[in-house]
Amino acid sequence: MNKGSKELTKGFFKENPIFVLMLGLCPVLGVSTQVSNAIGMSAGVLFVLLFSNIIISGLRHVIPPSIHIPAYIVVIATLVTITEMVMHAFVPAVYSALGVYLPLIVVNCIILGRAEAFASKNTIVDSILDALGMAIGFALGLTLIALIRELFGSGTITLFPMGDFSGVINIPWFYDNPIRVLSLAPGALLIMGFLKAFFDWNSSRKKDR
Amino acid sequence: MTKNLKYSLILFSICAVCAFALALTNSVTAPVIVQLDLEKKNKALEAVSAGYTFGEQEMVEGNKYVTYSIDLTENNELMGYIVGLQSAGYGGQMTLVASYALSGKMLAAQLLNHGETPGLGAKAAQASYMDKFKGTGSERAVPTSKDMLSDSDAQSVSGASVTFTAVGKAIDAGSAYVKALGGTK
Repeated sequence: MNKGSKELTKGFFKENPIFVLMLGLCPVLGVSTQVSNAIGMSAGVLFVLLFSNIIISGLRHVIPPSIHIPAYIVVIATLVTITEMVMHAFVPAVYSALGVYLPLIVVNCIILGRAEAFASKNTIVDSILDALGMAIGFALGLTLIALIRELFGSGTITLFPMGDFSGVINIPWFYDNPIRVLSLAPGALLIMGFLKAFFDWNSSRKKDR
Repeated sequence: MTKNLKYSLILFSICAVCAFALALTNSVTAPVIVQLDLEKKNKALEAVSAGYTFGEQEMVEGNKYVTYSIDLTENNELMGYIVGLQSAGYGGQMTLVASYALSGKMLAAQLLNHGETPGLGAKAAQASYMDKFKGTGSERAVPTSKDMLSDSDAQSVSGASVTFTAVGKAIDAGSAYVKALGGTK
């Protein structure tokens, strides 16, 4: 596998930001109540992570180490505010669904973590691949947790309304027999814990081989 | 000294470029957002008007919850009011509109803006959420705590009691305001 493919795919499973790096857990626990929220949040994180990595990588020889944190925060906060304004104007349903978690992308550790650990030391192309890989890994993890919580906790899968489609798919049997605790706050921690244990078991099994 | 000046200039330049990008985005999105808010409000007024004709908005001063009221008429006869409400939810200020009969009975309500938690308090934006309050405010008291709900309704607001209480208190205040008007202004 060449370097570019490695940078892109490492975030999917090997260095998955949620289950391996344990970054950005606050929005993961908060918005994973519905699949549509997970997709909207993932899109927001993808946009901010991609552009923050590009800008910070481009400015890596300009920003001195002693002022890099305030400089990164200004760039990230600007990108998040732009995302918020664009979503409010053009996809108001997603904007309403994400609520307070959208501005909180500013303090999502994935964004600052990747800026600090990767984009500030690597080329723009590598930073783009890293951002895409991490954002896809984040989206996979978040959507998986949201899917399990919504399916077992409410018996539904919520997507985006389109035309006559209300956006909500009721899943027979699960809809009549929901495990309510999974759609509440403790459910997020439970599912997160089980999936983290599964990822740890899977990676230790691979190491033993 | 020179180093500090250089750092300040770098930070200033980054801030200036960011401010320009934000101003540019705002100039594109602000008119769309204002238009969307207006359409959303008009749609909500239409939805809660219960088939009556609604008049001009009149601002209300000095009420913690009620911000404006609109007459609801049928053949020029006053039938009730639409009341603009505000309340402090879990995620900050929330605004809603509710319509009332002259007796203070709530006819319909809709949440307009809020910052409630997705999947929990944000469920208040669903049309079915307001069914818990429909018909209350006159003979039946407006539920302002989970204890006043049936088991199934209480279950549906589980995990978002602060939002429920905030909506309940606003609707109750709207009912009290309409009753105080006594069918005349």
